[in-house]
Amino acid sequence: MQAFQSRRDFLWNAGGGLGGVALAGLLNSESLLAEDAPVLQNPLAAKSPHYPAKATRVIQIFCPGGLSHVDTWDYKPGLEKHHGEAFDAELGKQTFAGIAGNYSKSFWPFRQHGACGRWISDLFPKFARHVDDLTFIYSMQSKSALHGPAMFMANSGFIRPGFPCMGAWVTYGLGSLSETLPAFVVLPDTRGLPPGGISNWGAGFLPAVHQGTVVETSVERPPIHDLFPPAGRVSTPAVETAGQDFLRSLNVAHAADRPGDSLLEARIAAYELAARLQLSAPEAVDLNGETEATHLEYALADPDIGPFGRQCLLARRLVERGVRFVQVFCGAENTSSKKIRPNWDSHEDIVRDHGYWGRILDTGASALLADLKQRGLLDSTLVICTSEFGRQPFMQGSQKGRDHNPGVFTAWMAGGGVQGGTSYGTSDDLGFKAAENPCYSYDLHATALHLLGLNHERLSYYHNGIQRRLTDVHGHVIESILK
Amino acid sequence: MTDIDEFPVACGAHAMDFLNRTCLMVPHGARHKCLPRLGFRILVGTLLTVVCAGFLEAQEATVDFSRDVVPILQQHCIRCHRPDNRKGEVSLATAEDLIGNGYVQVGEAEASQLIKLITPQGGKPPRMPQDGPPLSDKQVGVLRTWITSGAQWPDILVIQEVAKAGLDWWSFQPVHRPAVPVIPLGQLPSTAWSHNPIDRFILSALVGKGLQPALPADRRTLIRRLSFDLLGLPPEPEAVEAFVNDPDPAAYEKLVDRFLTSPHYGERWARHWLDIAHYADTHGFERDQRRDNAWPYRDWVIQAFNADLPYKEFLCDQIAGDIIRPQDAQAVIATGYLAAGPWDFVGQAETRSEVLRRAARADDLDDMITQVMTSTCGVTINCARCHDHKLDPIPQRDYYALWAVFAGVRRGDREISAQESLQLEHRKQSLRSELRVVAEELAKRRGQFWDLADIVGGGDGRMTGKPGAGIDPLTGQVLVNKRGFVENVSMNSFVRSSVKFVDGVVIPDASPDGTVVSSTGVRIKNVPKTSGQAWDAIRFGPVNSQFSTRLDDTDFATADHTLLSLHANAAITFDLAALRQTGVPGEIKFTSMVGYFGETPRNGASFSVFVDGELKSQRNSLGRADGVVPIEISIPDNARFLTLMATDGGNGIGHDQICFADPWLSPAQAQPLDPGNQAEIDRLRKRRSDLEQQLKSVPAPSKVYAVLSETPAPVKLLKRGDPEQPAEEVQPATLTAITALKAELTTGTATEGERRRALAEWITATANPLTRRVLVNRLWHYHFGVGLVDTPSDFGYGGGKPSHPELLDWLADEFLRQGWSIKSMHRLLCTSQVYQQRSSVVEPAAEQGRMIDAGNRLLWRMNPRRLDGESVRDAVLTMSGKLNLEMNGPGFRDFDYQEEYAPVYRYITPDSPGLWRRSVYRFIVRTTPHQFLTTLDCPSPANLVPTRNVTTTALQSLALLNNDFMLRQSNHWAARIQKEVGPDVSQQIDRVFRLAFGRSASPDEMTAARKLVDTAGLPQLCRMMLNANEFIYID
Repeated sequence: MQAFQSRRDFLWNAGGGLGGVALAGLLNSESLLAEDAPVLQNPLAAKSPHYPAKATRVIQIFCPGGLSHVDTWDYKPGLEKHHGEAFDAELGKQTFAGIAGNYSKSFWPFRQHGACGRWISDLFPKFARHVDDLTFIYSMQSKSALHGPAMFMANSGFIRPGFPCMGAWVTYGLGSLSETLPAFVVLPDTRGLPPGGISNWGAGFLPAVHQGTVVETSVERPPIHDLFPPAGRVSTPAVETAGQDFLRSLNVAHAADRPGDSLLEARIAAYELAARLQLSAPEAVDLNGETEATHLEYALADPDIGPFGRQCLLARRLVERGVRFVQVFCGAENTSSKKIRPNWDSHEDIVRDHGYWGRILDTGASALLADLKQRGLLDSTLVICTSEFGRQPFMQGSQKGRDHNPGVFTAWMAGGGVQGGTSYGTSDDLGFKAAENPCYSYDLHATALHLLGLNHERLSYYHNGIQRRLTDVHGHVIESILK
Repeated sequence: MTDIDEFPVACGAHAMDFLNRTCLMVPHGARHKCLPRLGFRILVGTLLTVVCAGFLEAQEATVDFSRDVVPILQQHCIRCHRPDNRKGEVSLATAEDLIGNGYVQVGEAEASQLIKLITPQGGKPPRMPQDGPPLSDKQVGVLRTWITSGAQWPDILVIQEVAKAGLDWWSFQPVHRPAVPVIPLGQLPSTAWSHNPIDRFILSALVGKGLQPALPADRRTLIRRLSFDLLGLPPEPEAVEAFVNDPDPAAYEKLVDRFLTSPHYGERWARHWLDIAHYADTHGFERDQRRDNAWPYRDWVIQAFNADLPYKEFLCDQIAGDIIRPQDAQAVIATGYLAAGPWDFVGQAETRSEVLRRAARADDLDDMITQVMTSTCGVTINCARCHDHKLDPIPQRDYYALWAVFAGVRRGDREISAQESLQLEHRKQSLRSELRVVAEELAKRRGQFWDLADIVGGGDGRMTGKPGAGIDPLTGQVLVNKRGFVENVSMNSFVRSSVKFVDGVVIPDASPDGTVVSSTGVRIKNVPKTSGQAWDAIRFGPVNSQFSTRLDDTDFATADHTLLSLHANAAITFDLAALRQTGVPGEIKFTSMVGYFGETPRNGASFSVFVDGELKSQRNSLGRADGVVPIEISIPDNARFLTLMATDGGNGIGHDQICFADPWLSPAQAQPLDPGNQAEIDRLRKRRSDLEQQLKSVPAPSKVYAVLSETPAPVKLLKRGDPEQPAEEVQPATLTAITALKAELTTGTATEGERRRALAEWITATANPLTRRVLVNRLWHYHFGVGLVDTPSDFGYGGGKPSHPELLDWLADEFLRQGWSIKSMHRLLCTSQVYQQRSSVVEPAAEQGRMIDAGNRLLWRMNPRRLDGESVRDAVLTMSGKLNLEMNGPGFRDFDYQEEYAPVYRYITPDSPGLWRRSVYRFIVRTTPHQFLTTLDCPSPANLVPTRNVTTTALQSLALLNNDFMLRQSNHWAARIQKEVGPDVSQQIDRVFRLAFGRSASPDEMTAARKLVDTAGLPQLCRMMLNANEFIYID
């Protein structure tokens, strides 16, 4: 008989051949330990990175719908020159809606800010004060001009659904810093979920424990789904305790008859962790202890800006309490909601929609950056802001908006080991395509993982024949923006 | 020798194989042509020494570059040091970097950096290879000799990565029936172990490792194990007792047979196959619209398992049933398999960009090919999309050859039977024509009125129009299909309508210039504010995504009412002069019940009514809370235009559904009706309502979401998998690595259907070494928790190797002998002693087992299993007595559905019998996963799922403790118990334990449970039982 292989054997034998086998990383991981010597393991126990990390946690602000780089962070004097001229239709054949109108300069004037002299448009007056802490990547591109696939690409590196997102990979690689809170938390816009829905924070083929946990951002509901019995079914603490005691006694006796089955013990432990979560989660989202100044800074009372301010403040509180990865959505799905577009997808009226969302992002993001810095958390927290693609430098037909532009857009990063006051890559003169150092989400992800101490080529997981990575077969760490 | 053709034929063929498989990249097209001279000399040497050994002995003494050096570089270096990644700035694909950068000093091995890197230096292990074991002394010696003897490297020779596995990979070899091991009598745990060949294979391996199998499990454990395994449901307490007390020694075998004939068997095992086919009831991707005709395929899979359809037919029907038996509805439905995966509406239909469409279609075909080849053959074909497979011998060309097989397959709804469709259409037409007669008669008797909604539907106001039809507010043309936002809106551009009695339509403009509302130029100045957008059409009946047709407790969609829907922003003008020519009197009145039928309670939209441009009625900022507004407007005999308008107030058009209910024109002076008329009117109304009911009950022609066949375009290999970089054309074919079968399927002129049929035949050919191995391994995986190959959809180099290769082959062969019968294999597996072992082993055997085989791959005990999400849900419903065992039909929808650009699915707590069906009948929303089930590791149908993850998390505990479904079912269960056994608490507890665990409570448990019931009530006991490990785990 041919000797069967343990997973360890398999990895050794395949080590020379399989791209990016995370050998060293996997040797320390629970899957091997569990096989070679079954012991009770928390799958989210903190794990060592591949090498010393600059950042230990991440807050990612995601602006779904397509944030227009040419009206916000990417100053294009060339566009002012060509303002009003017709766009060369041949080049425009890849746009989503298919009709290219005239070039249009930014709807908000740009001016220089900070010691670095970064150009930022007047859409972001508060945010502009932080430019010396920020790195801008001006040459981001996407492989899809469609919201759903581009969202998936930005989050998971693949335009198809079903792949683990960055937050899932990070918790798979690093585990949790908190014993009582989920490792990966998602704070969706109160208006709804982004395009692609909850697949954006799915674990794909990774174990479900790595998927994002939605923390409710509206005040009325409990912070985590099923944290408590639904209203109207709440029993008394005495009843709950009696039930849990009975359950524990059943499970302990059951496990005693089946010695050595670590899964049974793990499940008993999971109920204890659940009980701890019932205490820690409400505390984490209770903003009563925050100062009046903080409430003002995040504009919590403002009916339009307040909800996002609350998301940003929650993000700070969660990383403070050891949550590894927080994803904050600034915008929801495209619905026929009243008044304005529910996200940045400004096809027909960019002044109306970007004007509305601009105030929201400006206040929330700048309050968050200031808060993290003031508390000394910024150095160890990587803040990322991105969108699934940008918008075109020309108008959409005769409308007052701009169409999708996967050819180039801007992302920025702060804290967590990136330099401030700097940038990487450029778009062309008009902001139509990436010019110098074109990047994809692969490079952004590779860089973020690197700052977290993870080698993106070694962070891998076997699925249907392939050692899968967040960066597929691509990705380069952008060295020049690192501290 | 100067030409390869001079070799004997057999040798030449081998030579080509060798070339393909090993080292050389030759210029395109050069394989069958003359090669440059230098390359040839090297090649010849290689071939002679390898293939025709001993032919040229003179070269044996020295190191042969191709034979000796290339494999070392190829296996240990090239992965990281190749032209496109050049780690450490060095590529070992050609000599350029090695010589140029000084890694190799020609003639001086010890001075060469290359040798230093691969040998220990200063007591430290070799620095290279970084990601693998060091080279052997022999390999280092070869490289030394090569450098010393001149480091020759022919210019032509470029080393490429090769697949790790060759054509000799185990799973590509023919299936041979191995001899069943003979176990000496003394080594048999009992005589029971000698009957079933499976047991002897397993035992042989155990004994070989010094292990013993576990003791047989007791009957209580066995029935629970078997019931969940074969049916996905817990056994009834009565069935447990009957089995435990059955004196028949063959009681267990009888039980297996009984379960295999249960219809629930098909439900359970279909779910496994649906995982592999990533079946769902929505399309997925951004818009994720409903796929309402997917379920017939799901039912087909259930029935196929229940009928024990031979696996060969099972596969052929799914791949080409519509071709093999086009008249057989079931065979057509089976092809739902090919369409089961996601479909990108935006990328394939909505976008105007050809590039995006090509990209989306490429992903579509990739998904289809990958599904077919991984599910049937365990081949990760998708790895060969952009380049040759790096692990398995699958050239990129094979991938595109398979693409050519499916190039004419589109996913879509298709009629199952043309004949049935025709009959149903006849039936509908006859009902419709009778309905028209009744409606006309009724209209006559109800007095004179003309219905404007009917006119919008193309009628004459006397119920001759087509319900649902509409008028495009932008073009005035008839619009029957649903539509969302009206694109390219232009305001204030009145257009004549093609619809009779409608003067025209316009999207109103609130600017001071006003809006023209008639063909004669009548202009309205006082238009309320609008955002300028428009939605769908002006309709006879509700608009697309109408929130409701009810307002103030009246449903205006019923027979006695009509609705003219005027979603903001739009206006319609009726030509009264034209109507008067059909008998409408001069002085008339317009009456209607107007309302805001959208969701917004307040401040939604406005409506206005004008006669010849003069405002007659207006309500601004109407919302649902304002209810129905009755209006009555007198129209003088000289008036010509009646204009109805809806405007959004300038705050966007979401849900701004203004409807005019019962919009009637009638004589200004109503004529008194004949009193005898009323009885006839009542009779006609009843008849009309009957007819409408009958019309409604005529089913739509049965459709299934399956294969739409089209003429395949020529298929070209795509460089780097990029649809924008087509290369040479490829003919329909399949894997060249399976040498026992011919890879060429048909020619490029073969029809779409012939291609699929040929592939189905290839897959199910007796000589195909993969198909049967893969299937028996899947069965093993589901029965034992881990397959003999632990990667059931990957039998290649990247997957696991079989723990018991002979057993796998024996099973694959036995499967053929049993006529591809899956049920026969279940019987064989389930009646083995291995399957009937205990899952828990006492010391010291347990310690020994853990030491030698911690993963239990040798099966020294049964693997305990956690219930999958669906089984948990079904088991909970079984406890409460609420499980609805109705089979088949459209999936149950435990969500609120809201039609939107991207429809919204909001899950609700299932609390009605229709939602208490088995989980396999759930309407599966692809991109909005079911939170409760996902927490229990129910996978996303975005992925092909050969094995499910099993996780244990705090969120899972919270879901089982606190989810509303669990709490409600706990209450239902408690109520059931009280009803069944009455008020005696001990009996209640006993019943609860028997239902949940299949056993009575121990004295300790009884005491603890009594205490809990006393303090917290029976529902709390039930709730905790549903959370118990003994409920969630199977021994």
